[in-house]
Amino acid sequence: MRLPRAFDSLQARLLVLVLGLAAVVWLAAAVLIWRDARHELDELLDGHLAQAAALLVVQQAAHHDDDQVADAPALHKYAPRVVFQVFHENQLVQRSAQAGAAPMSEVERGFSTVRLDDGSEWRVFAAQGAERDVQVYVGEQTASRNAILRAVLRSVLLPLMFALPLLALAGWWAVYRGLLPLRHLSEVLGQRRPEALEPVVLRHVPAEMQPLVQALNGLFGRIERMLESERRFTADAAHELRTPIAAIRAQAQVALGAGADEMQRQHALQSTLAGCDRATHLVEQLLTLARLEAVPAGANDLVDLGELARRVLAELAPGALARRQQLELDIAGSCRVTGSDLLLGVLVRNLVDNALRYSLDGASVHVRVALEQGQPVLRVEDSGPGMTAQEMGRLGERFYRVPGHAQPGSGLGWSIVKRIAQVCGAQVQAARSARWGGLAVSVCWPDRPGQRDV
Amino acid sequence: MRILLAEDDPMLGDGLRAGLRQQGFQVDWVRDGEAAERELASGVYAAGVLDLGLPRKDGMDVLQALRARWVATPVLVLTARDAVPDRIRGLDLGADDYVVKPVDLHELGARLRSLVRRAHGQMQDSLRCGALLLEPAARQVSLDGEVVALSTREFDLLHVLMRNAGRVMSREQLEEQLYSWGHEVESNAIEVHIHHLRRKLQPELIQTVRGVGYTVLRSPELA
Repeated sequence: MRLPRAFDSLQARLLVLVLGLAAVVWLAAAVLIWRDARHELDELLDGHLAQAAALLVVQQAAHHDDDQVADAPALHKYAPRVVFQVFHENQLVQRSAQAGAAPMSEVERGFSTVRLDDGSEWRVFAAQGAERDVQVYVGEQTASRNAILRAVLRSVLLPLMFALPLLALAGWWAVYRGLLPLRHLSEVLGQRRPEALEPVVLRHVPAEMQPLVQALNGLFGRIERMLESERRFTADAAHELRTPIAAIRAQAQVALGAGADEMQRQHALQSTLAGCDRATHLVEQLLTLARLEAVPAGANDLVDLGELARRVLAELAPGALARRQQLELDIAGSCRVTGSDLLLGVLVRNLVDNALRYSLDGASVHVRVALEQGQPVLRVEDSGPGMTAQEMGRLGERFYRVPGHAQPGSGLGWSIVKRIAQVCGAQVQAARSARWGGLAVSVCWPDRPGQRDV
Repeated sequence: MRILLAEDDPMLGDGLRAGLRQQGFQVDWVRDGEAAERELASGVYAAGVLDLGLPRKDGMDVLQALRARWVATPVLVLTARDAVPDRIRGLDLGADDYVVKPVDLHELGARLRSLVRRAHGQMQDSLRCGALLLEPAARQVSLDGEVVALSTREFDLLHVLMRNAGRVMSREQLEEQLYSWGHEVESNAIEVHIHHLRRKLQPELIQTVRGVGYTVLRSPELA
């Protein structure tokens, strides 16, 4: 049921509904009472009319020798509303004070409702004696019946007039009391500082409000975890940027202070540039990760993995060649997976870049795209130093870098790879390369029909 | 002044080492926590620069272990962890100074000199011995107001002796404090430098205690 805007308050809404329904029920009861009362009243009064008529017939049978018209006196305030006529052999012999001389009704037996010349409406019962020479009419004004009915109706409806405002007051109070927990909750929420995210703790939470409070607390919890991860990320990012910046600063100062030592100045300037590249790389990785956090899962381009790997390797090959590293691509069968072309490119680039970065000059990196047991798999293997099981376990922690590497890294590559895999519905596993003893990283997609051309 | 630098980042470590060397420090560079603890415990370093995020052993643990072993070498913590609780913890665990990256190399040098000075109970950076004045920051020595030109090694040797004025320093001790790794020390190098110092300054400044070592007397003891 839609209520106007004025009833946006729960209190007003409940009150209007309760009072409205109470009034409707009461009115319906009044209508039923009125119908029932009229029926019973009609039967009762008709009974009286019939009995009165019977009495008159019997009486007339006893005194039919008297030809005088007898007028009965009016003895009661209702008397003007009740009349009778007694005819003997079509002669009026007895009548009440207000009765006319002509028969009241054309009906000779039973009930009829007639309208007299003066406009009044009467309920008439006609009866005849045993020899049909006695005709009796007993009439009663219908207006008097209606007056009784109105009195009955009044006695039903009048209390309602007083009861409704009282009911409204009582209802208002009851609803107010009933809604106290809700008010309490909104007070508690209203007094909260915007950054307060601890769960709402209320004593005596009604059953109906428990899901609400639980949902709220769940939401607070999720927001807090999100904020916490954001805070940690920002702190970590700032922290991680300090070291490259400190290195750039130190190297620049060394270059300034090198004096006549041209070799030292050259070396320091080269290092300064390398430091800038490293800081740039770190910032780029940070931005990538920040953007990835906002990407909803389930991008669904159809991406040819082999084609993608070929493109990424072509980009990375010059750097590898400069370090005399062997970079190989092996595409065994065409693999198509769902995901974002752009994101998967970032994933493959990070994996191959990591392999090249942490392998020595002259090392080998092998990339294979194939179907294994029907599942598309992309595997990057290198002949680098590899990792211990403990180090592999910590992969994907933001800013975690395997210690002892001379190559600068952001420590974010794995976080990026894991996030993209998650978005694209793939799984990433790191293992020891059986061929070279280095690191072998596999990205597997679950086998779903329609993703590949065999 | 011989300094141990413990920093795992190659580029930063390289820059710090070069920058400190430019300021006349002898710098040895280690890249993990275990090596840092071992080297600092040897006692040959005037001070240490310690990164906290070191592989193998965290800088805080290194600091704690050193102080537990009563190693008094001054330690300057150089780190990216700038949170106040980290600073408090670092200082309470025995760091003599706590510097957040990035740092100006000259400031780092000044802080190291200050640490070493305090470790020897000096009030001022410059050292005086009679008419002789040694200013470590400027790497300058003057006699009666006249600047005397000294080689790097001569300056460092004089600095060690003056810093330890009143103590007899053995040849081995002097070598340890003067030469960082990778420098071949000739067997008579110290004697040669002492000889040069005596010639350039005052002959009676550096006294030889036969069979023990060399010493510079404290100012009042010097006639």
